[in-house]
Amino acid sequence: MTGKIIFGIFVGLAGGFATGAGFVAFLTVLGVIPRLTQLTKTMKMIHYYEGAIIAGVVAGTWLGLQETKFFLHHFLLIPIGLADGIFNGMLAAALTEVLNVFPILSKRIGIQEKIIYLLMALVLGKIAGSLFQWIYFVDL
Amino acid sequence: MAVVYIRMRNRVQVKGNQTVRIKDIARIIGPEEVIQIIEETFLLTVKKEDKNIIVIDLAQLIMAIRKVDPQIEVQTFGPSQTIIEVIYSKKKMSYLTFALVWFLLFIGAGMTIMNFHVDVSMGEVHQKVFTLITGKLDEKPLLIQIPYSFGLGIGMILFFNHFFKKRFNEEPSPLEVEMFNYQQDLDRYVTMNENKENVRDLDDR
Repeated sequence: MTGKIIFGIFVGLAGGFATGAGFVAFLTVLGVIPRLTQLTKTMKMIHYYEGAIIAGVVAGTWLGLQETKFFLHHFLLIPIGLADGIFNGMLAAALTEVLNVFPILSKRIGIQEKIIYLLMALVLGKIAGSLFQWIYFVDL
Repeated sequence: MAVVYIRMRNRVQVKGNQTVRIKDIARIIGPEEVIQIIEETFLLTVKKEDKNIIVIDLAQLIMAIRKVDPQIEVQTFGPSQTIIEVIYSKKKMSYLTFALVWFLLFIGAGMTIMNFHVDVSMGEVHQKVFTLITGKLDEKPLLIQIPYSFGLGIGMILFFNHFFKKRFNEEPSPLEVEMFNYQQDLDRYVTMNENKENVRDLDDR
């Protein structure tokens, strides 16, 4: 029995290590946090941002695995949803950048100056696709 | 004996059939009368066979200068080759292509985000967060999902530091840096591969 418990703890811990390391590696490659510190000029606070990420991941993991209910006002969901979206949007933007989509595309069709409009196509497409899915597509 | 300082330009654009003189590809500093002769020295005429990229190496430039006057001492700084980009006809961007690409990106971005949401079961997570906060069940927690959708766009704009023409600060956006890096990589490739001074194949012997 004790052996089983110790083995269970070991497996859980190992799985957590691997997933956590993967998550941090992913964030590091995409460079979202440095970009945020650069935009807000808060380079010195980067350790606290690390703390925020870790706290968020731990809290999310724990609450996600439990059946906790807080019974708070539902308007609290609006800032949560917005923050969720901004973070995801930055991840998506970082991913397009890592993949070098725009430099190659603009060279191919020869529109260096109008590239910002192509960027807006991507942004508006993401917003429209997301709204369409949640409001209409999920009911189909 | 005159000393002249030479700085080759990195990239220059010329038209087809144009003659390229030294002043087109390099900045020359030195005694007035020497410069005038050197700057007007003829280097080459752009021919059809040159296609659209010509690389002039510093060695070729010095040879040309020594042909004018072997007494001139040349001091160089800056890039050691110039990439000449031949522009035959200024490509007019067609608005139809642009519109097509715009439409492609718009639909593609929308579809990929929908696929992503289904792939990671984001709907279920939103439902769970709704229950977590309010204690109630909601099949369509739009209160999270609509702010989420707009946040998605805001996040992308923040990352690229652009809102149409307006930018939030002076720094170049990651996209502009990326474009610059890509151009540098292309230039480096061209200087290595199109420059006759750089490569010598075995069958040249």
